[in-house]
Amino acid sequence: MGEMTYRERILTTLHGKRADKIPFFHTWRRLQTGLAERKARNRCMGVWWQRPCYVESMPHVDIVERMGPSSGLGTTLVEYRTPIGTVTERLKKEPGVGKWKAQRSWRDVTPWTVERRIKKPEDYDVVKFMVEDTVYEADYFPIEQAERWLGEDGVVIAHLPHSPMQMLMIDWVGTPTFYIHYAKYRDKVEELYRVIEKKYEKIYKIAAESPADAVMFGDNLDGVLVNPVLFQRYFMPAYEKCARIVHEKGKLLISHFDGRLDGLKELIAKCPQDVIEAFHPPPMGDLPLREALDLWKNKVILVGFPGSVYALGTEAVRKHIIDLLRSVIPGDRLGIEASTENLVSDEHLLVLSTILEKSSLPLSKEKVDEIERSLG
Amino acid sequence: MIEKKYLDALRENVFNFDFEGVKKAAEEAMKAGVHPVTAVTDGLAAGLKIVGEKFEDRECFLSELVLAAEVMKEGMSIIQPYIKGEELKTKGRVVLATVKGDNHDIGKSLVATLLRISGFEVIDLGIDVPTETIVEAVKERRPQILGLSALLTVTMPEMREVINGLKAAGLREGVKVIVGGSPVTKEFAEKIGADHRAADAVEGVNKCIEWVR
Repeated sequence: MGEMTYRERILTTLHGKRADKIPFFHTWRRLQTGLAERKARNRCMGVWWQRPCYVESMPHVDIVERMGPSSGLGTTLVEYRTPIGTVTERLKKEPGVGKWKAQRSWRDVTPWTVERRIKKPEDYDVVKFMVEDTVYEADYFPIEQAERWLGEDGVVIAHLPHSPMQMLMIDWVGTPTFYIHYAKYRDKVEELYRVIEKKYEKIYKIAAESPADAVMFGDNLDGVLVNPVLFQRYFMPAYEKCARIVHEKGKLLISHFDGRLDGLKELIAKCPQDVIEAFHPPPMGDLPLREALDLWKNKVILVGFPGSVYALGTEAVRKHIIDLLRSVIPGDRLGIEASTENLVSDEHLLVLSTILEKSSLPLSKEKVDEIERSLG
Repeated sequence: MIEKKYLDALRENVFNFDFEGVKKAAEEAMKAGVHPVTAVTDGLAAGLKIVGEKFEDRECFLSELVLAAEVMKEGMSIIQPYIKGEELKTKGRVVLATVKGDNHDIGKSLVATLLRISGFEVIDLGIDVPTETIVEAVKERRPQILGLSALLTVTMPEMREVINGLKAAGLREGVKVIVGGSPVTKEFAEKIGADHRAADAVEGVNKCIEWVR
């Protein structure tokens, strides 16, 4: 097999076929610009670029942002004023937000929502109005532009927000409060869930018709926070609906499952996603990679290299990646992401790219031994 | 015997997650003259303990543990005024904080709940807590244990700063430091000089119990 381009390597793997090497890539939003990045990319590191495929507006909602002493020091108060009432949320923004990529701070952290928009039962009605009022319009320029710029250097993915129930749990209510609301005001929770679910059909269709190769739910799933009952009742139907629409247009469906997945592993096996992205085996997750590969036979797994290993230094990084390669022989249905949670030092990018440049498929014990020996 | 009836009702309402039921049970228990401390320890806390044990054995979910704790709070709001001037006996005192720059709350709050179920006094300093505030709290409140949480690899180094701050203030020897959060590994905990890395909330609380035994 001849050398594939980075794009071919990633796409071949995403489609469940054997590429020439294990694809290694970094997400665009965390990609530094400089010498180490250039060296790593010259060796084997591709680019994974998630871009929006629509613009949204709420024609009957005023959004007012306030900063300063009257809104709470160090935070931004956002008011959503609708004809039926107002909800507020409070954000904490670190230095760099709005000046770096994708609303990330200099150290790559998104604004913290320290007070969420749904706090009491009445807020559900206001947020329901906002969801119903939202207008989505296709806008493929960001994807087309990224595809032109990247060429064969990587892939562009149409990005979708959290799935409907995750939107409620993570973004609008907050997980512990969600549990309480779900027990006390289930009708309200379910009514809003159904409205979001219905509304999202539009963005699934927009994403499916986009020029991107694949569509991704940024779901941040964690099996300790989302129990199997909730997952089965509210998450899986949304995935199935989205997958039907996306698959009809010949696109792949990817989900960002970066948490502990052991408690949901059997259910995930039944989900229609083609690719599980940001998978974290131990030490950060609780499901070993080999077990996940064996259990999810019809899925591709993209492993997020664990930040906790980066924190231990270069030797630990080298050992972890070699051990990982040994655990996945022959290395099919697998890709490796430089990080899904933080910026990566130059030194670590170079270590990973040096090793993964040599990870031609199929892997064997002898091949991994040889890679290890070549490191000296 | 009569007291048992009221304590059972308190306990059952907690593990059945009944918000209204627990308030009614608490009111009835107080009216019947049940000792308020007993109502808390042998009623509400006993109910929460059952849910905590089930959670530990993976027989119930985090959502249920959070709910049970919330139901207990409802019951406490009725009983609390009756226990003025009295003290609930505690196993020990723990200061908890999510370190500076990190606004994650769920893990730390879960540990706080489990510690309270287990009989500890918990001083929860909250999230994004500066090192100086944590060191000051240890100096003033003299806990046996300090628990630090971080969920980001970029904030983990703050744990080292706290430990160094304790050393500089001459407080390190008097307090056990336990660290946790999904990116925090055993190796990292050793490297920064913590006493223990909690593999999860339950294991962390068990370690705290072992320390004060």
